[in-house]
Amino acid sequence: MAGDLLRTTAAVARKDLKVEWRTKTAFMSSLVFAVLVLAVLYFARDKTSVGDFDIAPGALWVTFTFAGMLGLNRAFLLERENRALDGLRLSPVTPTALFLGKVIGNLVFLGVVELVSLPLFILFYDVPIWRQLPILLAVVALATVGYVAVGTLLSAMVVRTRFSEVMLPVLLLPFLVPPIVSAVQLTWRILALRPLSEMTGWLSLLAAFDIIFFTLSLLLFEAILVE
Amino acid sequence: MAAQEPAVRVRDVSRRFGHRWIVRNVSMEVRPGEAVLLVGGNGAGKTTLLRVIAGLLRANRGTVEHRGSLGMVAHHTMMYDALTARENLEFFARLHGLPSDGRADRLIERLGLAHAAHQRIATFSRGMLQRLAIARSLMHDPDVLLFDEPLTGLDESASRIVLDVIRELKARGAALLIATHQLVELVGETARVGYMVSGRLAALEPIGGRDAGGVVSRYRELLADGG
Amino acid sequence: MTRRERALQTARRGALVTVIALVGLAVVYVRAIAFTPIERTQGPAQKIFYVHAPIAWASMTAFAVTGLLSLLYLMMRDRKFDLMAAASAEVGTALGVAMLTTGPLWAKPIWGTFWTWDARLTSTLFTFLLFVGYLVLRGALSDFDVRARFSAVLGVMALVLVPFIHVTVYWFRTLHPDPVVMKPEGPSLPAVMLTTLLTSLIVCTVLYVGLVMQRYSLAVLQDVREEQEAGDGIS
Repeated sequence: MAGDLLRTTAAVARKDLKVEWRTKTAFMSSLVFAVLVLAVLYFARDKTSVGDFDIAPGALWVTFTFAGMLGLNRAFLLERENRALDGLRLSPVTPTALFLGKVIGNLVFLGVVELVSLPLFILFYDVPIWRQLPILLAVVALATVGYVAVGTLLSAMVVRTRFSEVMLPVLLLPFLVPPIVSAVQLTWRILALRPLSEMTGWLSLLAAFDIIFFTLSLLLFEAILVE
Repeated sequence: MAAQEPAVRVRDVSRRFGHRWIVRNVSMEVRPGEAVLLVGGNGAGKTTLLRVIAGLLRANRGTVEHRGSLGMVAHHTMMYDALTARENLEFFARLHGLPSDGRADRLIERLGLAHAAHQRIATFSRGMLQRLAIARSLMHDPDVLLFDEPLTGLDESASRIVLDVIRELKARGAALLIATHQLVELVGETARVGYMVSGRLAALEPIGGRDAGGVVSRYRELLADGG
Repeated sequence: MTRRERALQTARRGALVTVIALVGLAVVYVRAIAFTPIERTQGPAQKIFYVHAPIAWASMTAFAVTGLLSLLYLMMRDRKFDLMAAASAEVGTALGVAMLTTGPLWAKPIWGTFWTWDARLTSTLFTFLLFVGYLVLRGALSDFDVRARFSAVLGVMALVLVPFIHVTVYWFRTLHPDPVVMKPEGPSLPAVMLTTLLTSLIVCTVLYVGLVMQRYSLAVLQDVREEQEAGDGIS
């Protein structure tokens, strides 16, 4: 049983990544978008009224949030071509495996965009990041997991509407308030070299959000799939 | 062939979309080794019935049971344009946990697609796609096969290949349900015909030696009776 | 009684409840303006509070009800729950708009600004937008079964999200205290003000119920008509 889950999840994720690798369009758009947003936010800032340091966390997370949204819909839009979703439902893939496979695909997608944007971020804002890199990466990972879990569920619904590219942000953005605000707060503290004790509150909120919403999204996914 | 347990048992199944009932009170059985033809006009509910039997749609009323595994060949290929023929089959093999015993290659060969095995299916013609879809549905040796217009858009040679496959499947003991408009080629392969009128199964009876023209007359008869 | 007749009955009863609530609202207005003392620090403008706070409460309750009904729908798949959840979300949104207009009207004379990003306002605004999103999703789906399922999923997610938004926003705000000094209400209200407030709270809740009854019966009637238009049923 667990073996089946692992196998089918891996198969779905692999297939998604292979298809994305072949076409690359969503990935490239997302990446270019991220770089553009970072650059624009940097050049548009008013150096006299607020320090680079204070604006940096917000800029980073605005970039990740919007670049991420560009990539989320592709996971289920793929399954609408040729009614591929029917093929999946006819196979031994359970809703759980399908959800996890899609989440993994989205995580890899967003993860790569983030890993490419991060050095640029460090470069632009000239922030002292090296010693804090592990904890910063941990925070980025945590926030991304929650974001992707909810985003995957919502995009499965939204791809069936006409303006899916607009519907996704409309529905998803309120859900991003807890993880993104936490991430910004944590990022700020990390850059400011604050002790870990000042971060535990936000870390717990982020972890709680992830656990609860990952589980909830997983449980609710079946209701979306079964006609 | 007499007292064999049916492979598919449909009991008083109804299905609606919105307020419109598309399939009404349909009951039927398909036995192993037999091919049942399902005929009816556009909008008669054939496709919907097949989708309910396949489990892609829940029956709003009634039940569907089938023994063993199920495969389906429909209008949409349910495969990925960016992947090659072989990759698509391998993906489904992985989903089913099938051993890598070269069956994908064998089926590609059997369906006359060996020359295009490593081409992305975006380049395939309708006939090639249909044959690949059949290959895909055979990967896991299903006991039940549902066909929705299997010969549409196929040329002579492709049709012949598909008919051969259908004969083989019957001989192997699979239960086949074939919805079609193209009677000429398929009347020879079936023992029973189901006539659908306005969502109801007006009759399900032995073909009685009728040819394609005979089946059409019988259908018109039932249509005039009001189903 | 047919479904249609039942719906018409609910509509009539709902209208009655709404009228009672509106009368009650008039009573509250009179009581607030003429019979409740003027608040010392804020002056007469404070009296908007007797309408604003209960409407806000009713709006948030409406959203919570939508969330709970969504859960019930997913568990029991009874369309009644879907139609009620949608009715509650619509009424909640309407009340929310009333809340978002009375609020700034009150804020301007008291705080000197129409809006501020303090914790309560921000949290309430996000919740409001969340349920507007719920209605937008419903509007974008034409098949009513898909619509019911999907909005129920969103409704449940939204219900669980609201406490998270609350905590996030409050934590965020306590670390960045507002420069604004005035608070919307004192830590404890004198009895006469409390009575006005509680009366208004009850009236607004009754108003919510009456409006939902009417909106729900409208949805049922619409459904009945669509069913008839779709033609014959099954035997």
